[in-house]
Amino acid sequence: MAILKLLLSYLSIHPSPLRNPSTSLHLSQQAPAFLSSSESTKDTQETWLIYEQLLLSCLRTGDDNSARLCLQRLSDRFGVDSARVKALTGLYDEATSNSPGELESVLQRYQDILKEDPTNMPIEKRRISLLLSLGRTEDAIKALTSLLSHSPNDPESWAHLSSLYFTQGLYQQSVFCLEEVLLILPNAYNIFARIGEVTYISASAGVGSANQTEAFEEAIKYFARSVELSEWYLRGWYGLKLVTGKLIQAKPSDGKLGKTESLNQMATEKLLQIVNKFRRNEKGWTGFDEAEVLAAKDLIDRDEQKFSR
Amino acid sequence: MASKALISFSSLLLIHSCYSAHEHSLLMPTTTSLPLDVAIETIVSVVLLCFGIVLGNREELKPISWSVWSGLLEREKGCGQFGYLEERVGFLDIRAKRAEFAKWIKGAEVGSSSQRT
Repeated sequence: MAILKLLLSYLSIHPSPLRNPSTSLHLSQQAPAFLSSSESTKDTQETWLIYEQLLLSCLRTGDDNSARLCLQRLSDRFGVDSARVKALTGLYDEATSNSPGELESVLQRYQDILKEDPTNMPIEKRRISLLLSLGRTEDAIKALTSLLSHSPNDPESWAHLSSLYFTQGLYQQSVFCLEEVLLILPNAYNIFARIGEVTYISASAGVGSANQTEAFEEAIKYFARSVELSEWYLRGWYGLKLVTGKLIQAKPSDGKLGKTESLNQMATEKLLQIVNKFRRNEKGWTGFDEAEVLAAKDLIDRDEQKFSR
Repeated sequence: MASKALISFSSLLLIHSCYSAHEHSLLMPTTTSLPLDVAIETIVSVVLLCFGIVLGNREELKPISWSVWSGLLEREKGCGQFGYLEERVGFLDIRAKRAEFAKWIKGAEVGSSSQRT
């Protein structure tokens, strides 16, 4: 059967192939077969989508020949001046450059393109990620804020800025950016959970126990919202269990504890279900990240020991 | 198969009822309402046609509730509707990804580590 169909169904099962090395490897192994098949000349939306995915995977796995061919065909079809193709070309150049000098020249080329067309978003994003990759985080943050000042409705950029601020330890700014994402996408449950995580981390790192309890309660609200929007969101349940556990530990007897305890219990039950079904390889439960499931199992075990003591 | 039969049968009924209505208006131009049997035939054919189309749907239906749907995506694919906000392909740091992959493949070759594809 057609390799096109095979690749499409693979991509529908693994919507983000760049997350795991193994999925990238699988995709890039299919690339030569696809590129030499007759179906690769079809001019449909799906084919070009596959070309882009194959290009990314091949670049990642180091199959530069296939990547070059993918890029060649994409630029033949859409023209070298298309913003997206320009960004992909830049990506290819970044990946295949061997010396810092070459990277600098790629960066210079980005700046030249941006001088001509200051609103070229894909190239601007490439420039920012290259700056980051070169270790110039401050410049990257500056460039990203200026990008967001002229196009403030791009959730991807807000999410990225948030993660940059987070790496710098600027938790408040990080949460602010995530809240901007929520203004654009009010259903983004993973962003809710992320706000909970950042709030929790900043409260744990900070001082002042009264503030800490408040921040924990705030984090619980965000985690609870995230699992309300997605009933099997592992990170949401994990955060909910972790933070409610800390609260229970912090003040053993209080009138408000009933609610926290029941939330904790609920999160434990859900996590247990996820862990058990994932371990038994049940159909429809295999999508979770293995490391995350292990961490959840660990958290449950630790909690049980504490209670039994 | 059943849906195709249902669709063709109900389409025939619909065409027939249209034809009857047309003939009726030609034969009796003074009356304003249709006879009851033609009206019933039209309604029944349309209802059957709707059923046929719904039955013939090949794609899997998505859950109506948002939380159930995103939960399903999370546990089946590990990536919901907003996974792109965490992956951020536009800001892909390809050099780091390449280095990570090179390291991973080396580890996989040394000890056949657990590969999940």
